[in-house]
Amino acid sequence: MDNIVGKKTGLAVAANLTVAILVVLWLIPTIGLLVSSFRDRDAISATGWWRAPFSTEQTFRGRGDTETVTQDGALFILTGNVFDDPEVAPSFPDGPATISAFGTRGNNPGEYTAGTTADLGDGEALLINADGTYRYALPEDPGSRGPRYYIQAKTPPKFTLSNYETVITAGGMGQAFINTLTVTIPATIIPILMAAFAAYALAWMDFAGRSWIIAAIIGLLVVPLQLALVPMLQLHNQVGIGQSFLGIWLAHSAFGQPLAVYLLRNYMIGLPRDIIESARVDGGTDFQIFMKIVLPLSFPALAAFAIFQFLWTWNDLLVAKVFLPSGEATKVMTVKIADDLLGSRGGDWGILASAAFVSIAVPLLVFFSLQRYLVRGLLAGSVK
Amino acid sequence: MNPVFQGLLTILIGVGGIFAYFVLSNMLLDKVLFPAKGPNASRNINRANLIRPWLFLAPTIIALSLYLVYPVIGSFIRSLYNRSGDQFIGFGNYSSLIASPDFRTAFMNNVLWALFVPAVSTFLGLVIAQLTDKLSWGNIAKSIIFMPMAISFVGASLIWKFVYAIDPNLGIINAIRASMGLNPLDVLQLAFWNNFFLMAILIWVQTGFAMVILSAALRGIPEETIEAAVIDGANPFQIFMKIQVPQVTGTIVVVWTTTTILVLKVFDIVYAMTGGNFNTQILPSYMMQFMFRDDGRATAVAIVIMLIVTPVMIQNIIQARKEMR
Amino acid sequence: MIRTLSGVSVVALLAVSASSASAQDLMFPKGEGDFSWAALESFAASHDYTGEKLMVTGATTGDDAERYRTLYAYFTDATGAEVEYSGSESFEQDIVIASQAGGLPDVALFPQPGLAKDLASKGALVAVDDAMTDFMTTNYAAGDSWKQLATFPGSDGADHVFGLFFGTDVKSLVWYVPEQFEEAGYEIPETQEDLFALSEQIVADGGTPWCIGLGSGAATGWPATDWVEDMMLRTASLEDYDRWVSNDLKFNDPIVVNAIEQYGKYALTEGFVDGGPSAAASTDFRDSPDGMFDFPPKCYMHKQASFIPIFFPEGVEAGTDVEFFYFPPFASEESLGRPVLGSGGLASVTNDRDVTKGFMEFLGSPIAHEIMMAQGQFLSPHKDANLDIYTSDVQRALGEILTTATSFRFDGSDLMPGEIGTNAFWTGMVDYTTGKPAQQVADEVQTRWDAIQ
Repeated sequence: MDNIVGKKTGLAVAANLTVAILVVLWLIPTIGLLVSSFRDRDAISATGWWRAPFSTEQTFRGRGDTETVTQDGALFILTGNVFDDPEVAPSFPDGPATISAFGTRGNNPGEYTAGTTADLGDGEALLINADGTYRYALPEDPGSRGPRYYIQAKTPPKFTLSNYETVITAGGMGQAFINTLTVTIPATIIPILMAAFAAYALAWMDFAGRSWIIAAIIGLLVVPLQLALVPMLQLHNQVGIGQSFLGIWLAHSAFGQPLAVYLLRNYMIGLPRDIIESARVDGGTDFQIFMKIVLPLSFPALAAFAIFQFLWTWNDLLVAKVFLPSGEATKVMTVKIADDLLGSRGGDWGILASAAFVSIAVPLLVFFSLQRYLVRGLLAGSVK
Repeated sequence: MNPVFQGLLTILIGVGGIFAYFVLSNMLLDKVLFPAKGPNASRNINRANLIRPWLFLAPTIIALSLYLVYPVIGSFIRSLYNRSGDQFIGFGNYSSLIASPDFRTAFMNNVLWALFVPAVSTFLGLVIAQLTDKLSWGNIAKSIIFMPMAISFVGASLIWKFVYAIDPNLGIINAIRASMGLNPLDVLQLAFWNNFFLMAILIWVQTGFAMVILSAALRGIPEETIEAAVIDGANPFQIFMKIQVPQVTGTIVVVWTTTTILVLKVFDIVYAMTGGNFNTQILPSYMMQFMFRDDGRATAVAIVIMLIVTPVMIQNIIQARKEMR
Repeated sequence: MIRTLSGVSVVALLAVSASSASAQDLMFPKGEGDFSWAALESFAASHDYTGEKLMVTGATTGDDAERYRTLYAYFTDATGAEVEYSGSESFEQDIVIASQAGGLPDVALFPQPGLAKDLASKGALVAVDDAMTDFMTTNYAAGDSWKQLATFPGSDGADHVFGLFFGTDVKSLVWYVPEQFEEAGYEIPETQEDLFALSEQIVADGGTPWCIGLGSGAATGWPATDWVEDMMLRTASLEDYDRWVSNDLKFNDPIVVNAIEQYGKYALTEGFVDGGPSAAASTDFRDSPDGMFDFPPKCYMHKQASFIPIFFPEGVEAGTDVEFFYFPPFASEESLGRPVLGSGGLASVTNDRDVTKGFMEFLGSPIAHEIMMAQGQFLSPHKDANLDIYTSDVQRALGEILTTATSFRFDGSDLMPGEIGTNAFWTGMVDYTTGKPAQQVADEVQTRWDAIQ
């Protein structure tokens, strides 16, 4: 007995471990995106996101303050604190940090240890202490433009909500959010309803040509939708639909059909035959059987497909660009983000990251709320 | 009008419209045209049953023929014409495609994608679905694996840029290499293997899909079957391989097929990550190069894409026919 | 270059966002400042389109688009016509879809003339009036070459002028940080020979001279095409350059291969490029200049067009923290003068209406150019536009390069057919940068070109 128990816990540990490793692997990129969404563009391109929570040693530069100039014999002396320098101060909003090293040239900014005096020849000398106070001795009058110095200091980690602010408060984002919902909700429900009826017909009704239709639908699964964009838009214009919400619903519904029918038919065909047969014997029409028996039993499959169709339409950019007019009133979020926000901000990774998280929120909510219906697959399956 | 209200109204019209179609058309059939009562009741029922499948199928068939069949036929015809579309050149576009080394690279890469991505994501999806089932934190794990599904391809490409970045300050792979004292390496320029680094992105996204569907299927297996095997002394691995996997073969085929098809449509990842450079081109992104410029060639590529999946299609059609008998 | 990105100085940017709050207000009050207000008044007196609506599309988005909206407010003020501007990052694709689906706007602002040429041949564009055909010749510096660039065959096969250039970028620039040059004692090179010697000097001093980034998603490779075009202008005659663009000079001709290899002298020489050539091939062009601003600098020079300052790290001020010098000619090729490579946006009519004609006239008036210039790094070759309007010295210096160039040539890849200029040439340059021989790359591009003729 002990042996079996030992085996079992061993297996459980292995299972836990495997899943843990996979979860971590899956999570790393997402965390990277999440962390990046709270950093500004410069921070993102300066250090890796995994270093974001730690203070990093960075180099800053400032100029000797010429207003403090005093003369000491032949030398001109500048004094002050580097953390008061207008170029340095903004990086240390929480007050001075500790300086580890300093230098006078950009290509060797950490030449001297803080607290030591750097002899620069000709009587020129610079001393910067760890607390930021400095003394710059110059053989000539610096005029109005002080000499350069470079310092190395640890900067505290810096996070910002400004990326989210930019994304959320961008003009028209609220309208875009509503537009996205206006597109996705019908574009999820309509194709599912259509496909559920069709899948039932193909799974449980007998009629001539059934196998041909099944074959055709499976064949159509693979059509790249890029092919259909231009001809369909032309057709929409000819019949007067033009670029409109109706047009995009029709397009999404049609493009989602093959997969929806394919998945749902595969599910429905696995439903217990005797339930449907006995309902038929009781005189139910197929419409009644479908509405009262098949639809409730197929709920897990419908929920699963609903999630995916919702995600695809939510994240869709291509179809929205083609079938909706490009004005502000009809822009969906993906178009807004891709064309408006990113366009002018170019390689602003922070904006892109936060935009990704803003647009991920609703799909995740949908997933979590529908997840319990997926679990109900257990109950539906046990009827079998 | 308030945009929220307007949005709600349009949603109601759209969803209500399709619902009304099914309810009303069936009511018309059962109550008005062929009522199941009176002298001709049984004849009417039979007639109604002849028509009903087509009522069920009509929206789907109309949508499919308009939005997919018509463009496909149109595209096939277009692929037989030259770039400006005014001259019939037979299979000229196809032969020039075959002669092009870029196309051959894209084709070979695509075959790799079509084999590798569905295999790995289905396998991982199955394993995760099985393992998380018994874990106390299984649902959390599932949600995390599923999360990439909710990220758009652009967002996904962005985050993987951070993973693959050549600068060890930015890219985590090169950061790890640097900590081991190795030189930084651009994995996206690594001949041949770079394809796999791109595939990893799609696998990362798609495993959640496989997991959700397979998890539902695994839970559908009757408890008694598994209990019986446990009593017979089968170990968990044997139960998984010999009892559970065979029971969900149908679903595995569905997931595999769906992923294969997706692989043949997704151009965004290659488009955003390498632009097809460094020999990473695949057919969908290759096709995008020609879209709106040389439609003859673009449509020819699309037809080739469809041909690649034909074996998978045929297998599925045979399967469907078997089930019907 | 894929599209004309125009930089916005921080000041102008703030000014713009302030103005966008109160929609149709005029940003610069009429009658104040150095603007040519008289031109606006006379335009207003002769044009009245009250109640009309005009749809304009273009590739500029976000804050950049706001600058255009600021401009259109003046058109509305003068004529009463409402202008609706809609910008899209994928304008190139959208406008083609729109032309096929019959949903063209009234006026399209093409970021490059190549696409306009395609659409013109399909009859989607309306040629300008006879009165406007010579407009650029008389009013723009180097006007004849501008006119030539906007002249293509229409659907009838005959040549017409299809629009007006509006907004320009200068490409032959090398950006550097003056303080770093000062500290290291480097001088601005006057010749290509000096530039190469300086690069070697920097390497000898333990630094890295160049930051190059070719990454740009699907458009990866385009920055290298600018290098090659600039090298063509510095090693071959203008005639050869023009013949190259039209493929009368084959892409695999020794002249072209030499220009590619001249780029390679910088990009492929060991130690010349930060991270080496393979890093150059994958670094995003928007991130690559960052290296100049590190301490110690990862590189000292960055060759890029006049729009690049918008991608510099926050707080970097063009003109003080960073400067540019003209990408110099070869001392050994003195006869070629000081050529300038640039690019520009073309405004074309897509819908023949009275109000669109009036709109084109408005875009041609100096006041329209001045209002754009006053908002940031918009460069204009318009001779009547007041240079004092430029907001910074950098902008003024760029404007001067534009108006004093001995010869001006347009970005060749923007003029080549789409499959070459926005695809084969790009990927070819990536191949070359990552190790393919120049001859082989050139052969492959030429093969692709042969295939489309």
